[in-house]
Amino acid sequence: MLVRKAVMVLVGAMTLISASYAFQRARSFFEEDEANIPLPPDANEKTEYTFARLRYPSFRGGAAYWSARGNWTVDYPKADRQFVQGVRRLSRIHTKSVETVVDLETDEIFNYPWVYVVEAGHWDLPEAQTKKLREYLLRGGFLMTDDFHGTFEWDIFTASMSRVFPDRPIVDIENKDAIFHVLYDLDERFQVPGIIMFYSGRTYEYDGIEAKWRGIYDDNGRIMVAVCHNMDLGDAWEWADHPRYPERYASLAYRVGINYIIYAMTH
Amino acid sequence: MLEFLFKYPGTVFSKGNLVLLGGWPVWLLLLLIVGGALALGWPVWKQRDRTVGRAKGFRLAVLWLLQCGMLALLLLLLWQPAVSVSSLKPQQNIVAVMVDDSRSMGLQEEGKTRKDQVLGALNSGLLEQLGKKFQVRMYRFSGALDRVEKLEEITAQGNASRLGENLSQVATESATLPVGAIVMFSDGADNTGGVDLETVNLLKRQRIPVHTVGVGREKFNKDLEITDVQMAPRVLADSRLSALVTLKQRGLKDQKARLSVKSGTSTLASQDVVLKADGTLQAETVVFNAGTAGLKNISVSADVLPGEENPNNNSVARVVNVEGRKPRILYIEGEPKWEFKFIRRAVEEDRTLQLATMLRTTQNKIYRQGINAPAELETGFPAKVDELFAYQGIIIGGVEAGYFTAAQMELIKQFVDRRGGGVLFLAGRGGLGEGGWGKSAAADFLPVSLPDKKGTFHRDPAYVELTQAGRESLICRLDENAEKNTERWKKLPYLADYQEAGTPKPGAVVLVDAAPTSKGKYPLLVTQNYGRGRVGVMATQGTWRWQMTQPLADKSHEMFWQQLLRWLVQDTPGHVLASTPKSVLADEQKVLLRADVRDRNYLPMTDAKVVANIIGPAGTAEQVQMGPDPLTPGTFTAEWRAEKPGAYVAEILAKKGEEETGRDVLNFRREDGVAENFGAEQNRELLEKLASETGGKYYKVNDLSKLPEEISYSEAGITVRETKDLWNMPAVFLAILLMRGAEWLLRRRWGVV
Repeated sequence: MLVRKAVMVLVGAMTLISASYAFQRARSFFEEDEANIPLPPDANEKTEYTFARLRYPSFRGGAAYWSARGNWTVDYPKADRQFVQGVRRLSRIHTKSVETVVDLETDEIFNYPWVYVVEAGHWDLPEAQTKKLREYLLRGGFLMTDDFHGTFEWDIFTASMSRVFPDRPIVDIENKDAIFHVLYDLDERFQVPGIIMFYSGRTYEYDGIEAKWRGIYDDNGRIMVAVCHNMDLGDAWEWADHPRYPERYASLAYRVGINYIIYAMTH
Repeated sequence: MLEFLFKYPGTVFSKGNLVLLGGWPVWLLLLLIVGGALALGWPVWKQRDRTVGRAKGFRLAVLWLLQCGMLALLLLLLWQPAVSVSSLKPQQNIVAVMVDDSRSMGLQEEGKTRKDQVLGALNSGLLEQLGKKFQVRMYRFSGALDRVEKLEEITAQGNASRLGENLSQVATESATLPVGAIVMFSDGADNTGGVDLETVNLLKRQRIPVHTVGVGREKFNKDLEITDVQMAPRVLADSRLSALVTLKQRGLKDQKARLSVKSGTSTLASQDVVLKADGTLQAETVVFNAGTAGLKNISVSADVLPGEENPNNNSVARVVNVEGRKPRILYIEGEPKWEFKFIRRAVEEDRTLQLATMLRTTQNKIYRQGINAPAELETGFPAKVDELFAYQGIIIGGVEAGYFTAAQMELIKQFVDRRGGGVLFLAGRGGLGEGGWGKSAAADFLPVSLPDKKGTFHRDPAYVELTQAGRESLICRLDENAEKNTERWKKLPYLADYQEAGTPKPGAVVLVDAAPTSKGKYPLLVTQNYGRGRVGVMATQGTWRWQMTQPLADKSHEMFWQQLLRWLVQDTPGHVLASTPKSVLADEQKVLLRADVRDRNYLPMTDAKVVANIIGPAGTAEQVQMGPDPLTPGTFTAEWRAEKPGAYVAEILAKKGEEETGRDVLNFRREDGVAENFGAEQNRELLEKLASETGGKYYKVNDLSKLPEEISYSEAGITVRETKDLWNMPAVFLAILLMRGAEWLLRRRWGVV
């Protein structure tokens, strides 16, 4: 009995130590997110394309650490800036070197026909914002959601999205869809993990074992919302330069991101 | 009075020649006049510095001139002046009396129809007087010429006057008959082309004078007439179409009239217009949607206003072929951009246009959309004639001129010039001046002279301003109502960017200007025709904001691009382009068919065999061979008669040997009983001109007393030469008396004895 208790205490202590270590490592990555990255010299250049990140109200706002400054800020701004460097290098899209942040409270979002939503499994859009997002998408805007995992976050994501489009299903995007071929042929896609992989050794989070490439289509068969579920492309962009982050994941994340932008500019 | 003084009617002097019967030479007359003048002038000259009585200098000269005039007149009388004139031999000549029997002669004026006015004039002694001197042949004329024995046969029921054709027929008959003169009673209201030069020359050659008798009021008291309607004979389905309506009114100035455009019984558009000054031609534009593909009988009408004397001239018909074809446009873009996506979306909503696009996504990759086959555009921008000329239009986005080879550049030029296609240049980092287009081979056919500098593309906001030409252009019609359209343009959101496009060339039309929030104003949308085709410049890639920043229900962006691209391709011809001057034959039968025939490379085809298969009312069919026009290579023409009223379809087919090279379809309709409703006021100008050109005279129907006498002086038919003395004209004696009397009075006044 004593032995059993001692083992339990030991296990508990080990768990606490591990969790604490992991948290500290995570903090160091997170702090890099927040690091005061200097603006590139051409930050004020006027361009055709700007990486626009959506600021949204969070579900259970403030309950989690990430929510302290809003889930929308995850990987911000490093992921955005690293990604647009790739867009500039790999395509002819005239791209701004820095991101911009838009929300659904003003009409500024209508000046940015491509918008990225991180941690979409944590958003909680008020009625007015769902209406604006619906209008934005139907006018021709494009929304890419990323970095949410498992059933629980999916349900939170769809709770808002179903109010944006009560009449449109979220469906799996078929391999033959132009979005996977507009620049790169992406027939062989795999789960792109976040940095949690460094500690968990798994490419998935929660019960989000399988990467889902989903979308919402308009009446003309064009994707308005590209839903990247059970994957973390944002982390792949952000840590593409990290020696421990596998190149194959980063490459796919860049290719997917660029394809999604070019698709939004052609469809 | 004049006839009393000069003894003979004016016609004698206008038609006759002056002769001197005295037998002495004319030079002697002139010598004596000059000698006499000198003899009379010598004493005056000697006394030029002296005062005679109260006369000196100028006064003496006046007296000398009076004496000279007197002397000259007396000497002239000695030479026996006379007029030699041809006149018709009594009872040996025919006078053709032509009476207009068209329906406009049935119009009531002051209680009498025009026809009754004519019959009244003929019955009140004119026919009898003519009959005493000539054989009178009566004709009635409208669509055709008929000889009549009795005046009762004139019924004013004919469809068209056809003055020229009927006069020509009478003149032709006169080749075997001694027709001495023609008397034509008409209101001159001819809507079938008037009197052609050939007919006038024929009458002049045969020296047959046409005396015209004008019937009918020269001006209505109250009337509104649609004098003309111009609209494109063919248009793409669902396109906006404009009807340029020309109106004329009398007595209705400042009144409001409602113009309507109808297809069958459904009204396509209507608008109110305020009528302008009496007798002036007023042009109004009505814009409407042509609707789905098919043949449309369009009528343009003005509501009849209270008191209108002729309510039948308020409606005009036209035939429009709304084509179901789907022109293809090749759009090449140098880099991904929002404008590309939204132009594609605008075209996707258009059932008529097809867009094949090639987008340079990376330095070495091109993304193709809208292609018909995997091989289409696979090797890049077409480098062969048949590949490029398969399209009807080209959009060149932000692609540098240097991207194209010299051969491709020449092909693009030929695409416009020879193929008759449309090319639209868009702005961008690699577009227009930034892309070196101003120094390229394309600079020739651009509608602007691009600025010779860098930094012309600005990603700064710019509002749009519609020019006057833009307000009238169908490209810029976002609302069918002109005023609402202008307001709508004023409310459009600003563009995301603009590019300095330079100076419009002569002949180019600026439809829209860009007004940047920072400075100046620049041409934004400029168009021009070049060769057989058309070229446009749209100096922005930022209209996508019209779509993204306006409510979903607002269709400004889609509509603008659909209309701009329809303009680009609508008139791009196929290998055969058929046309006819009139789509509606109003009381006419003659149809001129014309076909511009090109080979597979769109070069004029001179060795083609071209036939028109015409299907008429009740399924009648006929094949007409078309012959080459010797003056215009590749053009084939044929003249054909539409024997029955109704709708006709002509399919024109070109072949080389047994191989078909192209075909086109043409529609027209013959309508009877229409032409006479228009131009119903007496066309006095036409009647006077016809009379003066042929040596006749214009008369009013109520003033024909001199006609029987004056008609006698003619050089046509069987004539006799008459010599009429002039010495005994009262005017001569009056002149002598006046000159002598004046001299006597002046001498008394000035004390010159």
